[in-house]
Amino acid sequence: MMHRHSRKTGALRRKSLIGLVSLAVVSAVTFAQPASATDLPVWDDYSYAAQTAVIEALDKKFEAAHPDVTIKRTQRTFEDLGLTLRLAVSAGDGPVVTKVNQGAKDMGAMAQKKLLLPLDEFSKKYDWPARQSESLLARDRWSKDGQFGEGPIYGISGLAEIVGLYYNEQVLKDAGVELPLKTFDDFLAALDKVKEAGQPPIAMGTAKNHLALHLLAGISQAHIDAKSRKQIDDLIYGRGGSWKTDGNLESAKLMQHWAEDGYFYNGFQGISGDDAVQLFIAGQGAFLVSGTWYFGDMQANPNIHFMAIPAPKGVNHPLSVGGVDLAWAITSQAKNDKMKDLAGSYIDYMVSPEAAVEWAKAGYLPSTALPKDADLDVSPLLSEGLEMWKSLNANDAIGHYPDWSTPTMLKTIDDNMPLLLAGQQTPAAFVDKLDADYSSYLASK
Amino acid sequence: MKSSVLDAPLRKNLPFVLPGLIIYVAFVLGPIIAAVVLSFTKWDGLGRPELAGFGNYLQLFGDEFFLKSLRNNAVLIVFYCLLPLLIGVALAAIVSRVRKSEQLALRTLLFMPYIMPSAVLGIIWQWLYNPAFGPINQILRGVGLGALAMPWLGDFDLVLPAVGLVATWYYFGFCMVIFLTGLQRIDPSIFEAARIDGAKPWYTFGRITLPLLLPEIRIVLLLTIIASIKSFDLIFTMTRGGPANATLVPNIYMYELGFQLNRYGYAASVAIVGAILIFAVNYAVHRFVRPAGTGAR
Repeated sequence: MMHRHSRKTGALRRKSLIGLVSLAVVSAVTFAQPASATDLPVWDDYSYAAQTAVIEALDKKFEAAHPDVTIKRTQRTFEDLGLTLRLAVSAGDGPVVTKVNQGAKDMGAMAQKKLLLPLDEFSKKYDWPARQSESLLARDRWSKDGQFGEGPIYGISGLAEIVGLYYNEQVLKDAGVELPLKTFDDFLAALDKVKEAGQPPIAMGTAKNHLALHLLAGISQAHIDAKSRKQIDDLIYGRGGSWKTDGNLESAKLMQHWAEDGYFYNGFQGISGDDAVQLFIAGQGAFLVSGTWYFGDMQANPNIHFMAIPAPKGVNHPLSVGGVDLAWAITSQAKNDKMKDLAGSYIDYMVSPEAAVEWAKAGYLPSTALPKDADLDVSPLLSEGLEMWKSLNANDAIGHYPDWSTPTMLKTIDDNMPLLLAGQQTPAAFVDKLDADYSSYLASK
Repeated sequence: MKSSVLDAPLRKNLPFVLPGLIIYVAFVLGPIIAAVVLSFTKWDGLGRPELAGFGNYLQLFGDEFFLKSLRNNAVLIVFYCLLPLLIGVALAAIVSRVRKSEQLALRTLLFMPYIMPSAVLGIIWQWLYNPAFGPINQILRGVGLGALAMPWLGDFDLVLPAVGLVATWYYFGFCMVIFLTGLQRIDPSIFEAARIDGAKPWYTFGRITLPLLLPEIRIVLLLTIIASIKSFDLIFTMTRGGPANATLVPNIYMYELGFQLNRYGYAASVAIVGAILIFAVNYAVHRFVRPAGTGAR
């Protein structure tokens, strides 16, 4: 009896065990996959309130067009995305669709390790080259042997970025400056007039953010004509070259002169870039060199306008630093064709003319051209930005962020810029540091 | 005879110890061992780590940024340890002499900075120091001392003391409270006897109070030295190690190497050297700061 009872109990236990194991296997399989087959995990860096509103609206529209899809959105700051994305995807976790920073550190490294998927089939299927110029798309290309700017495409961006010259029309008028500024010499003369009038000519804060980098790169690249852009393209795409150019040296000299002779805010070394922008919006200072991502904030002061940094005589189509925001990409977490297709169609929607209209309505500059028949009430600032973007694209005059050239360039610039501005480093030594960083990267490739 | 429940055989104790042990191994011991192993490799956060032997450590001691971070940390020890200790002792001596009700109010007020998260303090002080709209410079300009209104967090010479003073402000109340409890521990009859013998207050403080407070001084030194060597949040929120590495400390450098430059193996070696430094300095404090007539504990 006892024996039979034990066997029966044993059989029951075995059945229960099999049941539990089955349940565990089913659960494991269920949890290893997204919660439903049509969940789409997405990471993006749209962390400002106005951006969040747009991306949430776009996600809802995409879901409405794809009723079987649920977007699992994770919002990260630019820094946070940089810290976590590589580690998450390499650990077999993280998003299927993500924003990723172009350049060697993130997109380049992830493409090399096959953590990002090439998007050429989607580019062809959705005809992305018809929406964005090759000059923009090249910023998302990485060859198999690690050459930036060539080979398969790994991403595409939804927003355009131009680093240009914000100016306060009222401050300039009060100082007796005639607008529009036509040449770089006009710009230099305007700085002196504003200084004589007792206003700080340039809004600057170097304690955080990268206003000084944007000013340096902005004035340096404004001296390059689009027809002679090969040198800087080669430099940024890691094909070789040198940072020791007359343009960079002269720009570094100007920066030091402006810092030492009172052209920046008093105490600029202790003011963050974001604070400097707020002071500029509040009416302090005549000029600020930064990107179109401040359009939303700048609209608060109707006297503020936006233009390209004026070029010296003889430079017909000067480069403007900029390009596109972080790229949309598909990670190796897209395990099957169905998921890849879904991810591709999501990215296509994010760079579609329809999405561009939504961004423009919120005051942001889309990288995809707006439809001609779009019913839009565009702010004056955005209107200036859109015109500039059109002209830059037509002339192939969109420049580059210097920090894309090597994974360590941003730190090298951050480490040395304060020394240059404080007069503790000569302009030549500053340029040498950038060049040494670049040479070291080329040697390590 | 069993003197403790832990005298039971291992198999009986294990169920009680195991949950805590698993958590400890998973979140403390495991990461420490992983960091040690990682410090002997080159790893970019992707792919497989490559063995580097002692390469990271050898490189570290010729690394100008790491050496600078150590020098900065040595300066910060003055602000994290020495100044709070001196201010704490002085305040404890003063506060212990006032009436009980006033003592409570003073103690609470002076301890207040310590209850705030240091990252929050960093953000607040960054605003206080702001050259454009921070109240410190506004007040200086308001009272005619505009020449002293400096870019506190942007000046290479001022930034380290400026950040350090926030740490001093954060820790002095904590030190004072520890010393006050120490003073309460001392038998009042010793002070009474000294007073009857005609000892002056300074003499009493130097020859009786201070020596008897050595156990508390040791605790304060241990805790504040650990805090200074592992300093990160205050500096990260105020300066991120800048300008031009003027406030770079080993933990900020470790963060930059690992999470910004993707040199995880090298970053781990910085972490391990930091941990060894904490052990070494604390051993020295244990060894040399102790009440007369007692052995090292």
